[in-house]
Order: sequence, then structure tokens, then C-alpha cells
Amino acid sequence: MKGIQPSERLDTEYIAPQSKYRAIHLIAVAIMLTLASAKSGEPRFVHDLAGRTVSIPDNPLRVVSLAPSVTEIIFALGEGNRLKGVTQHCDFPAEAQSLPKVGSYVHLDLERIVALKPDLCIAVRDGNPKEVVMELESFGIPVYTVDPRNLETAVDTVLEVGRLLNATTKAQHLANEMRTKIEKVKECIAKTELRPRVFFQIGAAPIVSVGKNTVIHELIVAAGGQNLAEGPATYPRFSMEQVLALQPDIIIITSMTKEQDLEELCAEWKKYGGLPAVRDNRIFFVDADLFDRVSPRLIDGLETLAGIIHPELVR
Amino acid sequence: MKATAPYVYPLLKRMLAVSLLLCLLLIISAFLGLAIGSTAQNIRQILAVLSGHADQYPTLSNIVWRIRLPRVVLATLAGATLSLGGLVFQALLRNPLAEPYILGISGGSAVGAIIGILLGLSPFPGVAFFAFAGSMATLLLVLLIASTRTAMKKDTLILAGVMVNAFCSSVIMFLISLTQDSRLHNILFWLMGDLSLSDVHRTLMLMVALLPCFAVLFLLARPMNILLMGEEMAANMGVDVRLLPVVLLGVTSFMVSVVVCHTGLLGFVGLVMPHLLRLAFGPDHRLLVPACIFGGGSYLILCDLLARSLPSQGEMPVGVITAMIGAPLFIILLRRSRQ
Repeated sequence: MKGIQPSERLDTEYIAPQSKYRAIHLIAVAIMLTLASAKSGEPRFVHDLAGRTVSIPDNPLRVVSLAPSVTEIIFALGEGNRLKGVTQHCDFPAEAQSLPKVGSYVHLDLERIVALKPDLCIAVRDGNPKEVVMELESFGIPVYTVDPRNLETAVDTVLEVGRLLNATTKAQHLANEMRTKIEKVKECIAKTELRPRVFFQIGAAPIVSVGKNTVIHELIVAAGGQNLAEGPATYPRFSMEQVLALQPDIIIITSMTKEQDLEELCAEWKKYGGLPAVRDNRIFFVDADLFDRVSPRLIDGLETLAGIIHPELVR
Repeated sequence: MKATAPYVYPLLKRMLAVSLLLCLLLIISAFLGLAIGSTAQNIRQILAVLSGHADQYPTLSNIVWRIRLPRVVLATLAGATLSLGGLVFQALLRNPLAEPYILGISGGSAVGAIIGILLGLSPFPGVAFFAFAGSMATLLLVLLIASTRTAMKKDTLILAGVMVNAFCSSVIMFLISLTQDSRLHNILFWLMGDLSLSDVHRTLMLMVALLPCFAVLFLLARPMNILLMGEEMAANMGVDVRLLPVVLLGVTSFMVSVVVCHTGLLGFVGLVMPHLLRLAFGPDHRLLVPACIFGGGSYLILCDLLARSLPSQGEMPVGVITAMIGAPLFIILLRRSRQ
């Protein structure tokens, strides 16, 4: 019986934070076992909006990040020295690459995490498996779950992580900087009614694009474009024929594949001279990491997109 | 030391000897499984933890007892079950290539388990029941395809199994591509087999479900021997030739489906162990059933040990290892059975 209870508790917590607008704070989920409070000295109690009490150490010094976006945020806050472990995909900034790896973020290696003796793990709600989070908590390791999934929550997550790591000032500074940049792009875009038709390609074979419930969709819209794959499916698949019928003004391809593959992809599109994007030579490659990771670099992604979609407005 | 000594040895003595030998192997494997993992640890400290002095090394004790031990137990249970599954299918279908994975039984239970999970059922009994239903359905399907008028040819059965297995794999991919459910996020888990999702609670439940099945198969070892002589002979010797296969298939499918719920598809374990053990100890099932339990258990522990200690960045699914060892053996056996 004992083993079933935490799963039920976690379930409700994972379902509860659905409303986007509640998230002025970050929707954070973490369960503390009494064990942990005894271990970590002076715990801090943080209340989240659902009224739960989350307990974390006052000054976490052995932090393990369970997602690339979290790693980037921690480094952006200048708190990289607290990090004692990251996932194998955490490759930015370069310092992150030399830290001990704890598996990929969907396939975490429990033993490696426990062996690092973390006093705080920071997980992402969308990606890290629930089972592992629960297991970690049963070892008395506090797991703070963040949920960055769009521009607004990216800023919130920076503030939240800053609070966790006693870097509030720096976090405030970074958050303001991010907000200013977002506002700047919005101001630029507001000058025009023009909304070019964008086809954002994240997969080559099959052709995969992004639906309405993605960060990339939000970025395209914020950068003054119209997402041609807009729809309920998160990652819709397309045939070449369907894309041609959509008549994209701009094709943007993320660099998930190797350089030469990108050239081939581009050549593939260029066969279709009637396509507005081909005619106007508006096929672009962008760094996938700027769009997949909801971290401060997402703002760079936004600026990149704005520059591609509205080169006349954004310098 | 007479030349005929092995034949006059009482059966019980041989059984004990074989069991003890393989039990020793299991203990050694389990020790290695506890001592080696994805993080390197001081062997002296591990010995201290294993001998009960856990207080000095709380982290290591957590790693050994709460991460590695459930995993070693899960590997033992899964290895024993799949080996027994292979043994039973090989005897029952009189086909040296029969095995839960190759026959598509594992695939069928995985499909059932995934459907159960998508319906939001609890792991036990809900998901396990669906997995069982899935394995029974594929078993019937395979037998139906294979049992045409031209008797049960060896290759027909295997072909039917391979096709059903391929079909099940595609259904698994289909179900997973349909859903955004994060519980099914790890496709590798279902297709490649993985022991990393083991915790104490689940492993205990698995043990409760499987140990009685092991006992039943052990009790049915003699009738299995007789069945190998042919159905007519078996009927003459008082074996219920209708009931026995049904019970054997039922118990085996149940065991396999419970294991698949916890580990995903682990290929070829049921092929490697029974053949090795038959080579070593002869065809008597009264020896082979316990041998499969201990030997299969240690085999999977060792495979898992390789899987989690080889890569430097993260773990590899254990199914990769079992398939790498098992598939070449399958080809050798296939060639030999053709000759």
C-alpha cells in the first residue's frame, strides 16, 4: 500500500497546473519526504500556487540538472559551480560538457544520480519520467520540477531557479533582459500587418513540423509569421505534396541533422521553383537548440526568427 | 568409479547437484550484479555494505540495496521466466527454435500491456491481465497460422511467429506514435527491453506472481518428459494429453506476460539458456526446470551487468545484449535443424 500513495499524489500534482495564467510563479512540483528534511539541515519551505509546501535546502550546493534547458538556465545565472551532474545532452555552455553525466533526460540513470549525492535535483515536468522523480524522492533527494514551455514561463523559470539557488538579483536582471528583448521584437512586428506564411521543418524524413501547442509556434507568431502547420497535432507529419499545396513564403529548417544533409534538404526544396520560398530564396537553417530548449537562449531564437521573417524591420 | 555411474545415480542426487551448482552461479552473478554498476564503487566499501555495515556509507547502501538489488532480482525473475518459457515451448511444440520472443508471445503481451496503460488501468491486475490476453491471442494466432493440414513444420511455426512478432512491433510503434502520453515515452523500453524501471515494490509483486508458476512447471516436468515421446505414448502412460498442453501454455504465457509488463521485450533469452543447459545436463526436464530457473536468472543478471556498465554516458537497454548473443545462436540452431 505504501508504494501506491506517492504515485497518486504525484498524479494529481501533474494534472493540477494546467492553466497558463496561473503561472506567474513557476508551476513547481516537488515532494519532500521527512527523511530529506532531516538530512539537508535548514530546509526552506516554498509555497506554490496549488498550496503545497515544497522543501528545499537553504543553499543547495550539489545540484543535478535533469534537462538541457535547466542546465542552460543555471549557467546563465552564473551558478554553474553548484551543478554536480547534468544529462548527456547538456552541451551548452561548453563547461556543461565536462560535468558528470546522468543519462539522457528521458532515460535517467538513477544510480549515477544517487551516487552524486545531490541536495537538489531540478526536473522538467514535460520529459523526465515520473517514476524516476518518485524514486529520487524516495531516496530523500528533493526534486524541484519546473515547467518551462513558452516565452512567458521561460522568464518565470529563470526567476524560479534564481530563487532556488539564491541568485535572485542576477535572475531578476536576466529576466528583465529577456522581457526587454521580447518587447523589442513585438514593437518591431507591430509596425506591419504583413504575416508571411512560414513552414518550420524539424524533421526531414518524414517531414515534420510544429503544431499550435509548441514553443516554436509561439515564436513564429511572436516573430510576425503565420505557422502553416498550425493545428491540434503537436508534431504533424507532412508529405512533400502537402507542403507544396501550402505555398510557404519561408521555409525554416532546424539543424538536427548534419551540415551536408541540410544542403541536400535545401536542394530538394529548390526543385520546386514555383514555391514562393524558393522563388524569393527564403530557405533558412537555424540552430535547433535555440528552439527546443526553453532557456534564455529561446530569446535568441525569437530574434533569429524575427530577422528571418521580417528582415525589413529587424536589423 | 564405474563407467555407468551417471546412469545409476539417483535422480534426486543429480537434481540437487545441478541445482546447487547453478545456484552457486546465481549467487556469484548476483554478487557481481550488486558490486558493479554504472558508477564505479570501492569494492571494500561494497563488501562492508553487503555484510551489514551500511551505516558508514549511506549513499552506497542506497545504491546497492535500493537500486541494484531490485534490479538483480528483476533480472533473475525475468531470466528464469523467459528461459522456462523457451523450455516449455520447445518441449510442447517439439521445435528447438521455439521461444516466447520469436513466437511473438512477448510482443503480444507488450501490445496488451500498452493498451492497458492507455486505458489508464493499474499495473496489477489491470495491465497484467491485458498483457496476458495479448499473449494468449498471439499464441492462438501463431498456432492457427502454423497448423495447416501439412502438420506442424518447424519452419512454418517460426515463420508465423516472426510475422506475428513483426506485426506486434508495428502495433507497438503505432500505439506509441498515436499517443502523447509520457508514460509511453520510452519506446526503447518496449521494443528493446530494459530493466532500469525496477523498484522494490514492483519486484516483490512480480515475485509473488511468478514463484507459484515456477513450482507448477517443476511439478509438470515429468509429464513434459513423457510428452516428448509422442502424444500416443504419453496418453498410454496416463498423461492427460489434452489438459497438459493447455495448462503449460497458460502458465507460461501468464509468466511471460507478467514479465514483459516490467521489462519490455527481451529477445532470445528463452533460446540461449535451455539449449546451453540441455547440452550440459541432458534432456530430462526434471533437471532442466530448476536449471533454467537458476541458470536463466544468472544469464540475465550478467547480460544486464554488461548493459549498465559498458557505456560511459548512460545505460544501454539490456535487450541489445541478449539479442546480440541470442540472434547468432538462433541462426546456428536453424542451420543445424535443417541438416
